[in-house]
Amino acid sequence: MNTVETLGEILRRRGVSRRGFMKYCATTASLMALPPAMAETIAARLEKASRPSVIWLSFQECTGCTESMTRSHTPTLEGLILETVSLDYHHTLQAASGEGAEQAREQAMTANAGKYLLVVDGSIPMGDPGYSTIAGMSNVDMLLDAAKNAAAVIAVGSCAAFGGIPKAAPNPTGAVAVSSLVKDKPVINVPGCPPIPVVITGVLAHFLTFGGLPELDHLGRPRVFYGESIHDRCYRRPFYDRGLFAETFDDEGARKGWCLFKLGCKGPVTYNACATTKWNQGTSFPIQSGHGCIGCSEPDFWDLGGFYQALSMPTQKLGKVAGAAIAGGTIAGIAMAAHNRSMKASAKQSHERVSTDELEKGE
Amino acid sequence: MSANLQRGYNALKEVLDAPIASYFSSCVHCGLCAEACMFYTESGNPKYTPIHKLEPLRRVWFQEATLAGKLMRLVGLAKPVTDELLAEWSPLVYDSCSLCGRCSMVCPVGNDIAYMVRKLREGMAASGNAPEGLVGASKRTVAIGSPMGVKWPAVQAQIRHVQKDTGLTVPVDQAGVEYLVLMSSMEIMNYPEYLAALTRIFHKAGASWTLASDAFEATNSGIQIGASDIAREIVMRIVNAAERLQVGTVVSPECGHAFTAIRWEGPNLAGRTFGFKVKHILEVLDELRRSGRLRTKGNKSIPMTYHDPCQIARRGGVVDQPRTLLQMVASDVKEMDEHGAMNWCCGGGGGVSANERAEPLKLKAFARKKAQIEQTGVKTLVTACANCRITLEEGLEHYGMNITVLGLTELIAESLDDETTSADGGAA
Repeated sequence: MNTVETLGEILRRRGVSRRGFMKYCATTASLMALPPAMAETIAARLEKASRPSVIWLSFQECTGCTESMTRSHTPTLEGLILETVSLDYHHTLQAASGEGAEQAREQAMTANAGKYLLVVDGSIPMGDPGYSTIAGMSNVDMLLDAAKNAAAVIAVGSCAAFGGIPKAAPNPTGAVAVSSLVKDKPVINVPGCPPIPVVITGVLAHFLTFGGLPELDHLGRPRVFYGESIHDRCYRRPFYDRGLFAETFDDEGARKGWCLFKLGCKGPVTYNACATTKWNQGTSFPIQSGHGCIGCSEPDFWDLGGFYQALSMPTQKLGKVAGAAIAGGTIAGIAMAAHNRSMKASAKQSHERVSTDELEKGE
Repeated sequence: MSANLQRGYNALKEVLDAPIASYFSSCVHCGLCAEACMFYTESGNPKYTPIHKLEPLRRVWFQEATLAGKLMRLVGLAKPVTDELLAEWSPLVYDSCSLCGRCSMVCPVGNDIAYMVRKLREGMAASGNAPEGLVGASKRTVAIGSPMGVKWPAVQAQIRHVQKDTGLTVPVDQAGVEYLVLMSSMEIMNYPEYLAALTRIFHKAGASWTLASDAFEATNSGIQIGASDIAREIVMRIVNAAERLQVGTVVSPECGHAFTAIRWEGPNLAGRTFGFKVKHILEVLDELRRSGRLRTKGNKSIPMTYHDPCQIARRGGVVDQPRTLLQMVASDVKEMDEHGAMNWCCGGGGGVSANERAEPLKLKAFARKKAQIEQTGVKTLVTACANCRITLEEGLEHYGMNITVLGLTELIAESLDDETTSADGGAA
């Protein structure tokens, strides 16, 4: 594949107007919370950027992340930007198969050693390598082999970022996240089930523009996209503040668009850009279509209680555990109280009457 | 462990109770209490944060009454309570706390910090870490009968003066009367106007009352120093006299902590309910007013403001009565920005004024009160606590402020309506 042609040339060749390109750059700048003046910098840098080599590995996944990006954004600029990277290996999208496909991967790794981006979707089974192999190679071996000479690793989707659904209890395959295996390289987590396409391309644009990685939060997510909770940016937030909640999905509150907190919305504890960028080219997002956020960009979202259980409810069935805890706590409390009472009683017993003589230190 | 420390540590174990356990467990370390305390706001020194003053008590609670603390003490990880610690904390517990309880009002989790300081003083006093001034006052109260060393003959001398000035009789040791009147040494020594005012008011109201020769002193150094054994002895003098004379009500004088001592701590110290009622003089005056037995005439037009004594207003709940009474005799009363239950303390309560060591800090803290008074712009300050009064006068003197301080009772007496006499006739 040609790596000399710059992004600007490619975009022009494909008939993208200067105006459309600038609009994309401005959107990206505002999305990444950069000052408006940065749009020009982004444009200038993107124009000159040459296509970086990207190797995309898919492990235990459902292809939803790839679907999200390709299908819904094919005609948009984000799609073009993605096309203009040199996607040298993506076993769902590539035409080649068998030996030829693996050769392409190895070639790209050798030719661009130290410079290529490694994108991973899906989690890695550690229980038995046979749970998921590609061309006879276990996922873990392929990941470590490809990560060795990568410039950076981008874990796309909640499976790659946090283990996702394969890791959900009882985690039959022993699935782990990319970041628990790759320790010597920067790993950017772009979680979501699936992640928002513009977030993936935004991270790529950042890499192309600034040559480095965006600022990450404590879970390795780019702060610019995952810095605020869905709840804080939700258009239904004013109803929450006023205590107006939908109690069922077909009551008056639901029809009036009140807050879905009581119906299990995980917006308050979920950090993602859904409420700002929305989905399907800015059409809508789950809460807008009447369903609470399920918190898919947070670690272990599958095991954090029911999707329709309010956040204020306990996440697990308490039953016996609660009974035992209450009984244990009561017994421990009574024992402590008895012990403390006897301590106080003995202190009272050994009370020495304080007369005015004792007010001064003796000796 | 030295004998002193042993006694103090034991005393702290004795005072641990459910409120203290819940207070320490609930503290969220927000620091709001600091901003409520004038010793902190006027000095800016974080060691005067009220909850910090409780560190020795907190340590005893932690290692004696919590599971984690007990385990840590077993392996020697708990911070120990030592002689040095108590000595270091003595100025924090006594000099920088007037037990005013303002911190307790702002605590978002409802911790009564003043209550805990009072309890901590039990351990400080028992271990010999109370300041010299308070030890002296306690000794004089137990041995002589009054913290300032006032004896009954001094009261008798004052009675003679009052009788001569008013032409009325001051009853002594009369049984079966309505009110047993107590006084504070400060009133006997510095403000003799109080007894004269009371004699005239009771005469006009037709109320029967008496002084008791063996229980005239209302103040209680035991409460201030934090020695319940001593406090009990002092309270029981009053209880015994009141029950012997079979009076209906014991009247606490214009003194803050005396009211706390006999009204709130008294029954707990005695371990039983009293056979009589306890009221502050302001409560009594307001009752007389409501029943029409207290009438005044004329209205002073000079602007005045009222300083709420902490133990009477914040800790005692007597907030409305002084205002109603003041309205009777003054037409221009300006309130301070924060008054009533949130009033700022004069800085001399809780034994601070009897503690010479605390003098410079007390005057520094007075800057808060000074600012409050200046903000009202008035030149006459009325209060209802002899200890507040002397502290205010000292503070005003120190800052060169020309402001008159008056006691509310004497202000009322000055405006008594002389033309009408009570329908019930003269004194008993």
